[in-house]
Amino acid sequence: MKARMQNSSSSALLKQEFLKKWINGLQTYTNTKKEMTILDRKNAIKLSADIAIASTRNFSTNWSRAVMADVSKNVDGSSKIVTEKILGRKETCIIKCSKNIMRKSRLLAHRKRAIRRTIGRTSVKAASAIAKELVKKRTRVLKRLVPGGKQMNEICLIKETLDYIASLQVQVDVMRNIANAADQCLDSTERSLL
Amino acid sequence: MGFGFDEIHGPISGPPETDSNSFTALLELPPPQAVELLIKEDFPAKPMPPPIFPSNIALIDRASKFSIYASPDNSPDSTAILPASSSMKLDLVKQEPLESDSHPNSSSPAVSNQSSKSGKRKEREKKVKESNKKSKKVAANEASELSGEKLPYVHVRARRGQATDSHSLAERARREKINARMKLLQELVPGCNKISGTAMVLDEIINHVQALQRQVEFLSMRLAAVNPRIDFNLDAVFAAESGSSIDNSYLGMFDPSIWPEGQINGSRQQLYQQPLHFDGLHQPSWGREDDTSNFISPEDSLLSYDSPPNSASLQSSKLKMEL
Repeated sequence: MKARMQNSSSSALLKQEFLKKWINGLQTYTNTKKEMTILDRKNAIKLSADIAIASTRNFSTNWSRAVMADVSKNVDGSSKIVTEKILGRKETCIIKCSKNIMRKSRLLAHRKRAIRRTIGRTSVKAASAIAKELVKKRTRVLKRLVPGGKQMNEICLIKETLDYIASLQVQVDVMRNIANAADQCLDSTERSLL
Repeated sequence: MGFGFDEIHGPISGPPETDSNSFTALLELPPPQAVELLIKEDFPAKPMPPPIFPSNIALIDRASKFSIYASPDNSPDSTAILPASSSMKLDLVKQEPLESDSHPNSSSPAVSNQSSKSGKRKEREKKVKESNKKSKKVAANEASELSGEKLPYVHVRARRGQATDSHSLAERARREKINARMKLLQELVPGCNKISGTAMVLDEIINHVQALQRQVEFLSMRLAAVNPRIDFNLDAVFAAESGSSIDNSYLGMFDPSIWPEGQINGSRQQLYQQPLHFDGLHQPSWGREDDTSNFISPEDSLLSYDSPPNSASLQSSKLKMEL
């Protein structure tokens, strides 16, 4: 019970941090005078939310670094501004460096994987082998899901998944609360108008 | 434990009476000793005599120089035998995966003979890489260095492929790590506790991650559909310390500037509410930029309804969000 209380308080702090950064990032869009379509708005919201939740990790995890690398890959003017807004100037340089590192490690992983494949596979049809195949399939899918998962080994992957799930949960909770609050306000104001 | 090792005995010529015994002794002795060194578990002392591994005496002598990892209760012979056993001689090489197995798996070591060489090298390299392994890794490291200088065998450090030999200690340690983390994941993902089996648990985890990602998409679409201008009072949110009231305080960020006095506030308990700007739909009935100056008056009117702790945050700065 105590652990859960501690968990909730630490997650509350995390939520606050995420909310702050997210709104910070959204503010960059307030200055644009052009009309944004609903799709643009959605992308902007999602982008700011992703950057915010990744930065709450302070780049200590692989997935957050991968998220930032992906974001900076799309050399979009607005994304750069949002990143700068949320993180601050000096961290964007760090992201650029990490992008190169990730590219190199990706090449390395490719080479290793190619070598591994040429060694050959056992064709033992034992039940354990089948189970292993299933597990391998699942881990491959998981690697695709978790950002930056392609370069990680299994142990790292599971650790990153843990962290990623927790952060996603925070993100979803905050976004859902805000959406609910906004809808409630909308409803109440509509009711008050009638 | 010596059931599968008989076929391996072929290439080895050693003291016949300790043939199977030596392997089992080798199997049982080093890992527990290694475990002792690091984890400091109490392990029952093996009553067996120090195993005489069927290798060259010269190798043993050489290896004894490298026995830095010898624990006090470990006889120098057994630890010396360890690097000797993992020497680079081809036939001896095949033994190492066996000797490291303390819990023999069902797969027969004869099957894995072919790949055990590469697997062993990979394991050694893996042992070299992972730092929190047992001292057996150190032994293997030493052995590889030893072999590198003495024997004509070319030691390849690059990873050669998946180790299909499941007898290795390194593989087991790695699997234990994975299992420990999987348990944590099971606790995190709801509904995973009852499922047994890695594949099913991974299935659930994948579903959960996909569901969360989809929720983020939907929620951002939903928020994009909300009317564009929303004023936030962040400090009311952050004033809420405990986790439970933070959900309520989200509502504290928005507020219609016109609202029936007691009604809405009664439904949300301790909320501070800020004027909310709407564009689009409500354009005719609401003021927009002009309302910014009217913030203070609704605030004052709200003060009487709100509980004192939130009122302190009333005067703090507000953020405007326009999309």
